[in-house]
Formats: sequence, C-alpha cells, structure tokens
Amino acid sequence: MSAVPGLREDCEALLGAFQEADTVRFERFAELWRERRFHTVFYGRIRALERSKITKKTLELAQQYFLPPYAFQIRVGALYLLYGLYNTQLCQPKQKIRIALKDWPEVQRFQQDLMDSQHYDAVYIFRSLRLARAFHFTAMPKLLNYRTKKKIQENEFKEEFKEPSNRVNSLITNDVLEELMNIHDHYQKMKCVISADKSQPDKALSLIKDDFVVTLKDITLEHQEWQQNRMKMFLNAKETDEISNKKEERTSLESEGSERASALARIKYKSYSAVVE
Amino acid sequence: SIDTLMCADKEEDPDVIPEDSSLLTLRYVRKALERREETIIVDRACRQETLAYEMESHAVGKRPDSPTDLVEEGELLLTLNIFYPVIFQKHKDHKPCQTVLVLGSQKLTELRDSISCVSDLQIGGEFSSQPDQAPEHISKDLYKSAFFYFEGIFYNDKRYPECRDLSRTIIEWSESHDRGYGNLRCAKMEDYTFNDLSLKIGFPYLFCHQGNCEHIIIVTDIRLIHYDDCLDRNLYPLLIKKHWLCTRKCFVCKMYTARWVTNKDSLAPEDPCFFCDVCFRMLHYDAEGNKLGEFLAYPYVDPGIFN
Repeated sequence: MSAVPGLREDCEALLGAFQEADTVRFERFAELWRERRFHTVFYGRIRALERSKITKKTLELAQQYFLPPYAFQIRVGALYLLYGLYNTQLCQPKQKIRIALKDWPEVQRFQQDLMDSQHYDAVYIFRSLRLARAFHFTAMPKLLNYRTKKKIQENEFKEEFKEPSNRVNSLITNDVLEELMNIHDHYQKMKCVISADKSQPDKALSLIKDDFVVTLKDITLEHQEWQQNRMKMFLNAKETDEISNKKEERTSLESEGSERASALARIKYKSYSAVVE
Repeated sequence: SIDTLMCADKEEDPDVIPEDSSLLTLRYVRKALERREETIIVDRACRQETLAYEMESHAVGKRPDSPTDLVEEGELLLTLNIFYPVIFQKHKDHKPCQTVLVLGSQKLTELRDSISCVSDLQIGGEFSSQPDQAPEHISKDLYKSAFFYFEGIFYNDKRYPECRDLSRTIIEWSESHDRGYGNLRCAKMEDYTFNDLSLKIGFPYLFCHQGNCEHIIIVTDIRLIHYDDCLDRNLYPLLIKKHWLCTRKCFVCKMYTARWVTNKDSLAPEDPCFFCDVCFRMLHYDAEGNKLGEFLAYPYVDPGIFN
C-alpha cells in the first residue's frame, strides 16, 4: 500500500517529543497531542471510501511502532497513539487495529511488563481498547494488495527510536549465566571426584580458567555500558553539531565584521602615519 | 475521563482543514484538495465509487433472523481474490478480480456455487435458422464438473452424476514421467471445509470449471470473526468487491447490451458484429421470420452481465 504522505513524519515527531519528555504518563502524551491537535489528521477527506482506506493505512502505520524492536517508551507512546487515532477516527463503523497471531504473545508480555512496573494508566488504555473490540486478530500483520509497486519502499527505522540492539545481552542472558555457573560447578566437582585429592582437582586437570563465568558477566556489563555511553555521545554530538554549526556561523559573521574593521583601521593608520610623516 | 482529553474544544467541521495546523499530513491533503478543485468539473461520487463502497459495507453488522444462522465466536474469516480468466494488455498492472469473504466452516462447494463466471452462461450452437430456440441449455447445466487445486490436492466436485474428474488427466500426466511434481492427490470437494485445508497466504491456487476455464484464487487475509462483521451465515460467501467491466453494446442502437454475435454476415459492416435482440431480428429476418442473406449467428453473453 502506498503510504499517506507526511503521516510518518508527523507520527515520528509526536513520538520523538514523547520520548524526550522522558515519561510514560498519559497526561503528558495527551498534552502533546492537544498541542498538535493530532485528531485533525483525519480531516479533509472527502468521501467514505477514501476515508476508510486512509484510516486503515494510518492505523497500520501507528501499529508498527507498537511492536519490537522499538524501545519501551516508544511502544507505550504508540499504544497511546493507537488509542487516540482509534477514538478520533471519522469512519463509522470504526476501522480496526490489526494484530498478527505471531505478535500477540509479545503484546501480552508487554502488558504484563506494564502491570509489573505499575504503569496503570497504560494498562487501563490497553484494556479499554480490548473492551471496545478495537482489534482484528489476523494471520498476517499487513493486508495484502495486488498492485505492482512502482517503487519498492524500504521500511527504515529511525535510529534514535530503536532500542540499542542488545545482541550480546540477548545471547548472554541471566539464565545462560546461571546455567554456565551450574555446569562449571558440576565440572569442578567431577574433576574432584576423579582426582586423588578429594577436596580439589588435580593440577593436571586444570584446563580452563576457574572464574570465567564471572569474567564473562563483567565483560557483558562493560559492553552494555559502552553502548549506552556511545548512544549518549551520539545524541550529544548531534546536539553539539547543531550548536557548533550555529557558533561557526556567528564566528564567521564576526570575523567578516572584524576583517572590515581591521582593514579600515589599517587604512586610517596609513593615512595618519602619512600625515604624521 | 480519559476520552475527553482527546476531543476538540469547539465544534469543528471534519471536511475543513484547520488553517494553523502544524501537521505535515494536512499540508499534503490541502495541496491535493486544491489541485482537485482546479481540475475536477463535478465533485461527487461517481457510480463506480458508490458501488464499490456499497459492496464493501452493505453487509457490515447484519444479524440473522434465526439464531441457528448466527456465526459463532472463534470462526475464521478468509478473504479470497478470484481473478477473471481474461488476459488483456490493459490489465497488466491490476488484474480484474472479485473479492469474496468466506467462513472457515463453509464447504468448498459453497464457494464454487458463489463464483459467477460468464463462461457458465454460454450457449453453444449456431442458431441463425432458428433464432427463437436459442436460450435453452446454458453451459452451467451441461458441464457441471469443476475442481479446486490447493497445496497439491485436487478437490473435484462430485455432487452430480454428470460430474467428471477433470483432474485425472493432470494426475496421470504428472505420474507418467518423473516431472518433479511431488505427489498430486485427488479428493471430493463436498467433503471438505476451509478449516480442513492448510493454505498459504498470497500463494496462487486454481479453480477450473467448464473443462478449460481457469481462475486463479489467492487468499489475502485470514482473521477471527469480529463483532462488527456480518454474522448471518446465509450471506456467506459474501462478495465485497467486484471489478467493473464495460459491456459491449449493440452496433445498431448503441443502447442495449449485445445478445447476438454474427460471423460472415453479408448484412453487417464488420466481422464479428454484435446486435441486441430487437435489432438482430429486424435486420436479419423479414416479417414472416425468414432468414435474409447469409450469416452465422451465435448467442452472446457479455462478461459485464454481472455488473
């Protein structure tokens, strides 16, 4: 389906502002929504057929932000966005939000997370969407369409929204570390059992580092911290880039001005010196 | 409550775009609307649009009269695209099709009965000498065989004794040499419902009837039935979208849809030539009903007959 022009930018602006506000409270989101008067995004459509098509595409776009790999705050923002768009749409009967079967356990896990972190307003919003029967449970997330595309559009994720991809963390999870610890202990005990001295393993059998599990954990923590610092630096660098651009502009203006001033001063000095001489 | 935080503060008209909006979407919409105002002469829904919208939404929310016909919760709803068997150059980008909604618990035979194809209505035979005897047996009554092909299994329609197994030829052909087409099997259409099948979404399947009229079927969506859908079982399979085909009009009056086509006609300016019933008789037969001139006449069923 061809996208609604400008809608992606508007949604990303709203979600970006929500992310910067650094909160998951619905009141904050509602303020941002009201500032932009986002419900007007459905205005200006003329007739029912086009309106229902556009509404479907809008909900589909907003629904993409609701699932991983987006960060937690963005996902909560997407939930609020879906709630807002669903309730302010002009179609009658209302167009529904599509959730694929494979994404449903993820959504339920998300709801559980929200309940555990006591973000009760988000839980309330989700439950009210369920009660209003706002979801279509489908096999595939995108509705198929059979027009040959003139241009294949790549779905680009905005870098800042993405949760920093924790590949290392997803490999070395707490469970894995625990298991490694257990296996390591078991291994040490086996070595003790078969060696002469029952209390510690033979020197000949020590083929691995004894505390490698702890070292592994430290390394992954370090990596995570490094990644977070890098993200911060990246964001700061962007800000300072903008600031330094502005500074450069100012200094270049200043330098122009000072050049003129110094040129004038030189001319005057020459003329005075000529006079003096 | 939470809902009131979203609503507008003052009365607004949804068709008017607010002037001071910061949303990029609305800027594009406003540009498109302005362009439209400049170029369009009459701005109201054309009949194709009204028809399309009506088809999509006419059955929404319908409830049956008797509770036995109510669709139950947990029922699956499939959306199928059934493509017409014509191949025209102008259909390169967008092949004409009809879209049908089907319940998971419905039998394949119910879908077969709901597919309306013009080849079912053809009348064979040359009728120039006896034009009044023409429409007696349409092909649908004569050749009742049909089959579906899903995932390597041919489902044949065996409800009537005249139905033959059209897929047997194909199975024999594939088994005669090692052509690399796995195991093709045969089954009866009336014994299976959609819930029994395993289907791929977006994969083309086949429906063949009349011996050689083939339609491609693609499943575009499978979802659970919803409170707002039509819950009357008798209305399914439900047609929600249909491609509009232009009908061929009579060559003489250009008003009525053509019902006859003539070949090698000495009285007609072109070959083949289409006529409506009245013009056909007026031109080719005299007051007593005698045939004038040499020609071959066949009854013609226009593909746009289902509009």
